[in-house]
Amino acid sequence: MKIAPDDGGLKAARILAVDDEAANLSLVERAFRREGFQQIATFLDARDALSDFAARPPDLVLLDLMMPGVDGYELLESFRRLTSEADYLPILVLTADSTMNARLRALSLGANDVLLKPYDLAELLMRSWVLLDTRRRFRAVTFL
Amino acid sequence: MMSADPWSRMTRAWADLGLGPKGLIVVALPLAILLSGIGALHLSGRAEAEAEARVRLTFAIQRDIHEVHALLAEAASGVRGYRLTGRRAFLEPYIKAEALLPTTLDRLRRTARDPEIRRRLARVDGLVVQKRDGLAQLAAMPGAGTATGVEAPAVTRALIANKTVLDALRAEIEAMQRREIQLLAERQARADAERRRTWTLTAVMAGVGLLGGLAAAQLLFTGIVRRVRSLEQDAERLEQGEPLSLADEAQDEIGRLARRLVQASDLLRSREAALREGEERYRRVIEGVRDYGIFALDLDGRVVTWNTGAERIKGWTADEILGKHFSTFYPAEARDETPARLLEAARRDGRVEDEGLRVRRDGGRFWANVVITALRDEDDTLTGFSKVTRDVTERRRAEEALGHARAEAERASRAKSDFLSRMSHELRTPLTAILGFNQLLGMDGETLTDDHRHAVDQIAKAGGHLLTMIDEVLDIARIEAGGHALALEALDPTPLLADVRNLIAPQAHAAGVEVRIENDTKVDVMGDRRAMVQILLNLLSNAIKYGPDGGTVTVSLVETSDRVRIEVMDEGPGVPAELVERLFVPFDRLDAERWSGTPGSGLGLALSRGLAQAQGGDVAYRPRDDRQGAVFALELPPSPTGKGNT
Repeated sequence: MKIAPDDGGLKAARILAVDDEAANLSLVERAFRREGFQQIATFLDARDALSDFAARPPDLVLLDLMMPGVDGYELLESFRRLTSEADYLPILVLTADSTMNARLRALSLGANDVLLKPYDLAELLMRSWVLLDTRRRFRAVTFL
Repeated sequence: MMSADPWSRMTRAWADLGLGPKGLIVVALPLAILLSGIGALHLSGRAEAEAEARVRLTFAIQRDIHEVHALLAEAASGVRGYRLTGRRAFLEPYIKAEALLPTTLDRLRRTARDPEIRRRLARVDGLVVQKRDGLAQLAAMPGAGTATGVEAPAVTRALIANKTVLDALRAEIEAMQRREIQLLAERQARADAERRRTWTLTAVMAGVGLLGGLAAAQLLFTGIVRRVRSLEQDAERLEQGEPLSLADEAQDEIGRLARRLVQASDLLRSREAALREGEERYRRVIEGVRDYGIFALDLDGRVVTWNTGAERIKGWTADEILGKHFSTFYPAEARDETPARLLEAARRDGRVEDEGLRVRRDGGRFWANVVITALRDEDDTLTGFSKVTRDVTERRRAEEALGHARAEAERASRAKSDFLSRMSHELRTPLTAILGFNQLLGMDGETLTDDHRHAVDQIAKAGGHLLTMIDEVLDIARIEAGGHALALEALDPTPLLADVRNLIAPQAHAAGVEVRIENDTKVDVMGDRRAMVQILLNLLSNAIKYGPDGGTVTVSLVETSDRVRIEVMDEGPGVPAELVERLFVPFDRLDAERWSGTPGSGLGLALSRGLAQAQGGDVAYRPRDDRQGAVFALELPPSPTGKGNT
């Protein structure tokens, strides 16, 4: 059972997932691989994630907001600083913080969408697909 | 009391006489004396005039007597001459006497009053008649003119007879004259006596008139003037506020006035006493107050009164502080500026309140609450200030302690809230993995056995339940912490209920339950839209869960005196009476699974009630009265403006 339609291009997208919980990273990786995605980089450590982001910019970032050592909000801001103004690089925040404040803050710092943990896998995949599709259309228009 | 002494009775009667009669008497007394004097003088004058008239009459009578005598004598000598000469010229006096005598005698008879004179006059009348007859006889005798000296004997006899009559006449006349002389003397003496009496009377009258005037003046003085003066003194004493004693007991106007004055004085004194007593009481109240320093300031801010409370709070005694400027009470750093500013504000606004540090006599400081009020008289002229000071040091300490306690409570509340959201976060994170992997398993359903698929379903169900519970626990905690921000507004329940029905539709549809809404009211409620939707969803969800599949859930609005009730009625078994009081206890599921087989967290109703109460309302339960079933009602206050903009 596949969630998102495969148009041939999107499944090649490179996905970067950051979470302090190995099980959650594993869940995300399994879910996306099951859907046919090949390039999924998962990071328990925010600094590693940041250097990887700088070295090889991904097509989609899945970001947990509360992690030990590094604040997810700071990481979100750092990602945004590294993103070109001209580019559309979607960041989907996955958080267990159910307060409205957390969602609003994430969106104001540049997140493109927010999902509350525990999330429905189908919803995660569909939202990810929507974000990736938007990126693809954006790049097609701007010839990136 | 009346005295038996006649003099005092008289004085008393005189004093009691009204001022009108009194005045009449004072004026009439000398007047009456004067009038009677004039009367007496008049009578006396008349007596005197009468006496003089008698004297004059006596003279007239004497003259007439003398005339009778003279006429007779002349007639006699005339007749004698005629007899001697025979010449008729000698008869002339006789003829004259014949003519005059009757009238003279007649006048005498009319005028003479004295009985002796009248007696003699009668005799003289007779003698005169004899004499006239004799003369007539003599004159008629022949032989006149024979003056030889030898008379005829008849003539001689006639002459002798005449002579005898004449002598008798003369004697009578002389007697009469003597009598008249005597009468004249008597009458003149009487006239003199009358004159003397008149004079004496005049003198006596003058004396009596003088005495009467003096008496009137005395009466005027004792009866009116002296008492009016005493009244004037009384009025003066009244003015001075001295007591008046009742001295004038007379019943006249002055006496009444005097008693009125005494009454007025008594009244005035009792009023003054009452006023003084009131002022004294007022002063004692103020002076006795211990908890407030109450004192007065003059226009410049100098202390003019002082009470016990002020002494207790500030430490100065009245003797020490009276006359000192109230800036004495201020700490050195505020002394120059604050007192002047406060007085200015009180002068401008009528009243000023201030709180701050003040100093005591011993230099210690205390936190004071001060109210300064401008004192104005009835002409609105500023006369000074009243100052009420409270020592609120304790209160301020308590407030500070309260502030600390509140901050501490708020910190604790925040910590609790933080803890809860962290816990929620910590619970959600592993749940993500549990439910996610479970979902992955389910997605690969075709490779699973039925047992495995069943296990996956159970995990998903229990996980979902756990997730709901985490949300509800967090919600309850937020309500308890007061962190649930509600936006109360006037809401029309009708469209809101339609929204709720749409939201619950999937669950209702799944159970085959019809949700019916009955709303005849026209009133808006005051509530928070989100909270109301959450409560109504919970109540409807319960109604669908506990009611039979294919049944009906009815939502109806009822207006009571001070609430609007949104009632949700199901057709389920209702709540056993013994369990009703546990309905709203968190986590108390009332053994629901056992008697109804329905799952739940036991938090929904507690949460709903908490949310309703946060909106000033409530959630209440009652059994249905028309059939078996439960009625849960959301009660909310109506909008104060009635029907809003719908």
